[in-house]
Amino acid sequence: MAKDRLAGVLERYEAVIGLEIHTELTSLNSKMFCGCPVAFGGEPNTRVCPVCLGMPGALPVPNEAAVEATVLAGLALDCEIAPFSQFHRKQYFYPDMPKDYQISQYDLPFCGLGHLDIEVDGEGAKQRVDLDGGPYATRIGVTRIHLEEDTGKMVHVGGSEGRIAGADHSLVDFNRAGTPLMELVSEPDIRTPEEARRFAQKLRLIMLNLGVSDCSMEEGSMRVDGNVSIRLRGETELGTKTEIKNMNSFKALHDALAFEIVRQADVLDEGGRIVQETRHWDVTAKRTSALRSKEEAHDYRYFPEPDMVPFEFSAGWIDAIRARLPELPDARRERFMRDFGLSSADARTLSEDVEFAAFFEEAVALAGTPLAKPIANWMLGDFSAYLNAGTVALSDAKVTPAMLAELVQVIDAGTISGKQAKQVFTEMAETGDAPGAIIEIRGMKQVSDTGAIEAAVERVIIANPDEVASYRAGKTTLIGWFVGQVMREMRGQGNPSLVNEILVKKLG
Amino acid sequence: MSQKTDLAGLSARAIREGIAGKRFSAGDVVEATYAHIDVHEPGIHAFNELTPDLARAAAAHIDAKVAAGEELPPLAGVPAALKDNMNLVGTHTTCSSRILSDFKSPYDCTAVRRLLDAGALPIGKCNMDEFAFGSSTENSAFGVTHNPWDLSRVPGGSSGGSAAAVAARMVTVSLGSDTGGSIRQPGALTGTVAMKPTYGRVSRYGIVAFASSLDQIGPFSRSVEDAALVLNAISGHDDTDATSVREPVPDFTATLGDGVKGLRVGLVRDMLDLEGCAAEVREATEMSVRTLESLGAQVGEIDLPMSQHGLAAYYIIGPAEASSNLARFDGIRYGHRVSDPSDVVDLYMRSRAEGFGPETIRRIMLGTYALSAGYYDAYYGTAQKTRTLITREFDAAFEQFDVLVTPTSPTVAFKIGEKAEDPLSMYLSDVFTIPLNLAGLPGVSIPCAKSESTGLPIGVQIIGKHFDEATMLRVAAALEGALDLDMRPPAA
Amino acid sequence: MSISEADVRHVAMLARLALSDEQITRLQGELNSILGNIEKMQELDLEGVEPTSHSIPLRNATRPDVVRPGLSRDLALLNAPQAENGAFVIPRIVGAEEGA
Ligand SMILES: [Zn+2]
Repeated sequence: MAKDRLAGVLERYEAVIGLEIHTELTSLNSKMFCGCPVAFGGEPNTRVCPVCLGMPGALPVPNEAAVEATVLAGLALDCEIAPFSQFHRKQYFYPDMPKDYQISQYDLPFCGLGHLDIEVDGEGAKQRVDLDGGPYATRIGVTRIHLEEDTGKMVHVGGSEGRIAGADHSLVDFNRAGTPLMELVSEPDIRTPEEARRFAQKLRLIMLNLGVSDCSMEEGSMRVDGNVSIRLRGETELGTKTEIKNMNSFKALHDALAFEIVRQADVLDEGGRIVQETRHWDVTAKRTSALRSKEEAHDYRYFPEPDMVPFEFSAGWIDAIRARLPELPDARRERFMRDFGLSSADARTLSEDVEFAAFFEEAVALAGTPLAKPIANWMLGDFSAYLNAGTVALSDAKVTPAMLAELVQVIDAGTISGKQAKQVFTEMAETGDAPGAIIEIRGMKQVSDTGAIEAAVERVIIANPDEVASYRAGKTTLIGWFVGQVMREMRGQGNPSLVNEILVKKLG
Repeated sequence: MSQKTDLAGLSARAIREGIAGKRFSAGDVVEATYAHIDVHEPGIHAFNELTPDLARAAAAHIDAKVAAGEELPPLAGVPAALKDNMNLVGTHTTCSSRILSDFKSPYDCTAVRRLLDAGALPIGKCNMDEFAFGSSTENSAFGVTHNPWDLSRVPGGSSGGSAAAVAARMVTVSLGSDTGGSIRQPGALTGTVAMKPTYGRVSRYGIVAFASSLDQIGPFSRSVEDAALVLNAISGHDDTDATSVREPVPDFTATLGDGVKGLRVGLVRDMLDLEGCAAEVREATEMSVRTLESLGAQVGEIDLPMSQHGLAAYYIIGPAEASSNLARFDGIRYGHRVSDPSDVVDLYMRSRAEGFGPETIRRIMLGTYALSAGYYDAYYGTAQKTRTLITREFDAAFEQFDVLVTPTSPTVAFKIGEKAEDPLSMYLSDVFTIPLNLAGLPGVSIPCAKSESTGLPIGVQIIGKHFDEATMLRVAAALEGALDLDMRPPAA
Repeated sequence: MSISEADVRHVAMLARLALSDEQITRLQGELNSILGNIEKMQELDLEGVEPTSHSIPLRNATRPDVVRPGLSRDLALLNAPQAENGAFVIPRIVGAEEGA
C-alpha cells in the first residue's frame, strides 16, 4: 500500500533520510572492556564478569582489536581518523545497562567524515524523481564511526509477545552486555527507501569483507535505525524528523521508511504537523507507531570517561592498520571487469562476497584467464542455483575451484558437450567426484574424431535423400534436423560444433 | 600472654624476622592481634568486619612455609586491615553504606591481592565515611570511629577506621584510599604515617570508585619503612586498570637511609598563611622544615596561589565523577532494594534514597548538577582547566625543589559532631591535600609534633614529584629519625 | 548562578533519588552555598587553557583481545536482590519501551 503510493508522494515531496547503523564486532574474541567471550545466546549470565556486570570497583580496559577494527572500518569508508580521541560516559538509568551509563564516544570519535558510494537500479531508480529513472550512482556521506559497548538483554514476562507493554516483570541477562559495538552515523544524504536499503546492504558487505562482524540482522549483530523527514520539492528548510527503530531486515528497513514517508505526507497534506518522536516498526501490522515515553528530556551528562586515558594515533600506526585493508568489493569488481572482461553486473555479483570471489579467482587461476568467462557463467548459473536451492554454504559445498576449473577445461577441449556438462556438474555437486572420473565412468566422452563423424554424416545423407534434396534446394533450416539425426546415430557423443561443420560441408 | 601484648607494637620487619627466627609463629601474631582488638575495638570502632578465618588461614600458610624452611615473603605474618571499599572474596564490602550493607565481594581488589600475596594477614575491614565522602568517618552508616588519642574526637576521614586501627596498634599496617586527602588527613589526625602514591602507581581495580581520576590506594603504618614495604608490595602495572602505569617500581626501602643532604626542600609559604590553619600546625610545619635544614637539606620557600582554587575544582570534579560512579547502585544486580517497587523507576528512586546517607546524596546531587545540560562548561569544564593550571604550578615548583612541604591538615583532630552539620567547614579539612590529587602527585603525612594544649598529633605533608615516591619517603624517613617521637596513643 | 527548587527536583530525577520536600529544600540551600564558594574559580582567566581529565600523560591504554575467565553464574547472582532462571528479576518498566 505504502509502496504503491510512495512514487506519487515522492513526486511532490523530497525525503531526507539519515541512518544510524550499529554493528557488533562479533569476530572478536573478547568483549569491549573485559575478557568475557563474545558469542550469541547461551544460558543467561554465563558470560559475565565483574566488569560487564558493573560490580562495585570493577574497571573497563578497552579491547585493542576493537579499536583497530573501528579504525579499519573508518579507512574502508575514507573517513578521517581522529588524531586525538576519547571515550565518554553517556548517562541514563536502564535495567539492561549494568553501570547505568554506557561507555561510548561523544565529540571525539575515532573516525570522522567519510563516504560510501551506492548504485541504484531497477524499480528503486524510479523513486528518485529528480533523476530520469534510469540506474544511477550516488555518494552518501558518513558523519562518523565510533565505538561503544552493547547492553544486556531483557525478557519481558507476563505481557504479550514479550513486549514491555503489559509485562508483569522482566528478566535481565548480561551475556551481551559489553559486546563491542561500532556505530556509524550517515549524513542525511539518502533520498529514497531503496537508497537506504542499498546503503545498509553495501555497508554490510564491506563489514563482512573486513571480517569484523557476521552482520546478522536476525540475531541483532547489525541494527539499523533511521531518521526521516520530508519537505516539499524545492524547499531548502528541513522538515521535522522522526526516528524509526526495530527494522530487523533490509526489507523492513525499506518498508518502514516507505511507510513513514507516506505517513508524514498524509499528515502534512491534511494540514497537520509532524511530531519529533521515536517510532517503532511493526513488521506484522506493516506500520510505524509512536513509542510511549515519559516526558523527560534526555540529559545524558556526557563527560570524558575517567577510567580510561585518551587515544592519540600516530601516522605510522594508522598506516599499519591501512595495510591490513583487504580488497573491497568495488575495487574487486573493477578488477574483474578489467582483467577478465566480465560485464559490470556479473562482476558485481562475483565480487561482493569475499569467499565467493576467492573461489572464482582460484578456479580462474587453475583454468587460465581465457576461461574466466565460462567459470563466471557456471558460478552465477548452475553453481549459484545449486547453493541457493539447497541453502548450502559455499564452504560446505562439495564442488571445489579445481573441479570447476577442470569442468570448463574439458568443455573447452570439446571432450563433452554443454548438455553433458550440466549432467557432470549435477553429479559432481552431489558426490564430490572430479569431472574426469564422472566422464570416464559414464562413458560420456564426446567424439571429436572427424573420421567417425564423417562416417555418421555419410550414413545420414544416404538414408535421407528427400531431405537432402530439400536442403540443397534452399531449405537450410533443415540443418538442425540433420544435426539431430547425426547425434542420434552417434548416441549423443558427437562434438556438436564438429557435427555441424561437417554436415554443412557435405550437404553443401 | 605478655609476649602477645608485645607483638602489637612490632614493625613489619620485626614480625617477619620474628617468624623466620621462630621466636613466634604467624598463628601467634593472629591470636595476639585479635586479643588486642578485643580490648581496644569497643571504644574505637575501627572495624566493620573482622575476618579471623581468613587471617588464620593466611597465618597457617606462612607457618607452613616456616616449617618447610622456605623463604618468607616481605610482609610475612604482618597483620593488615583494609578499608571497607576494597573487594576481597570471603568478606563483605560495604563502603559503610546501607546500600551495600549485605554486599559480598565476588572478586578481589588487585592491591589487596598483592598485599596478601606478600604475606600480610587480612585482619578485617575498616570503617570509613560512606563511599569515602567525608573527613571524619562520621558519615558511616555503621557508626563513628573514635580517635585513639581522644575517644571524643574523630580520627579524620574518610579512611578513619584504617588510620585508627594502625594508631591503636590493632594492626601493623592498613590500606586506605585517598581522593582528596582521605589517607593523609586521618594519618595526621591519628599520628600515623599515611601515604598517597602517584596516580597510576597502584592499581585501582577492585576498590569501589569515588572519583576515578583522583582515587589512589595507599598505606597507613607506624613507620616510614613499613609504608615503603607496603608500597613495594602493592605498586606496579595492572592490565585490569587502564590508568595504571608501566613505570618501573624501585625498592622503596633501599634509599630510606640516604639522608637529605643537598636535597632541595620547598616550604609552601602561602598555605601556612591560609586562614583557618592553626598556629600550632604552622609552627610544627616550620619546625619540620628547619629540622630538615639542620640535616643538610637546602631549604627555600615558594607560593602556590593556584592551589588555593584546588578545593573549588575538587568539589566539582569529585562529585561529578562520583555521581556517575554511584549510578550503578540501582538495586538491580546487588545492593539495597525497596520491598514493594511499583515499577523500575520507583525501584531506583526509593532504593537509592533509602540506601544512601545525606552526604552521599549531597555529592551525587552536586555532581549531577555540575554535569547537567547547560552547566557543564561553567562547572566541570572550568574545574578541569583549573586543574591544568594547578598541575602546571606544581611542575614549575618542582623545577626548583625536589620535595615540597605543607601541613597535612589545618587543625588537629576535632570533636565528634563539631563539624557534622557544616559541610563547608568539613571540606576545608582537605585544603592542603586536595591539590596533590588534582595534580596526581604523591604525598606522605608523618607525625611531626604533638599539640602542646591537647597532646594530639600534628602531621606534616611531604610532596614528591610524579613517580618519585623514593625521594619523598627518604625525606620522611630522615625527619622521622630526627624527631624520634613516641606516637603511642593512650588507647593502644 | 542560583539553583532553584525546580532545578533541585530535576537533578534528583536525573540522579534517580526520591527526595522528600524537606530534603529538597535543605539541598537547595546547601548546593547554593557550596557552589557560591567556588565562584572565585570561575573568575580565573582560563582562555586557551586545555582541560585536564587525567594528571598523568598516559595514552592508548588497551588490552589484547584475549578471553579471560569471568564469574560463575552463582557468583554473578550472589548479591542479586531477586533472581529467576539464572537472570536478574526486575519489576515492570513503565514509560519507556525497548531501551533509550
Ligand atoms: Zn565481562
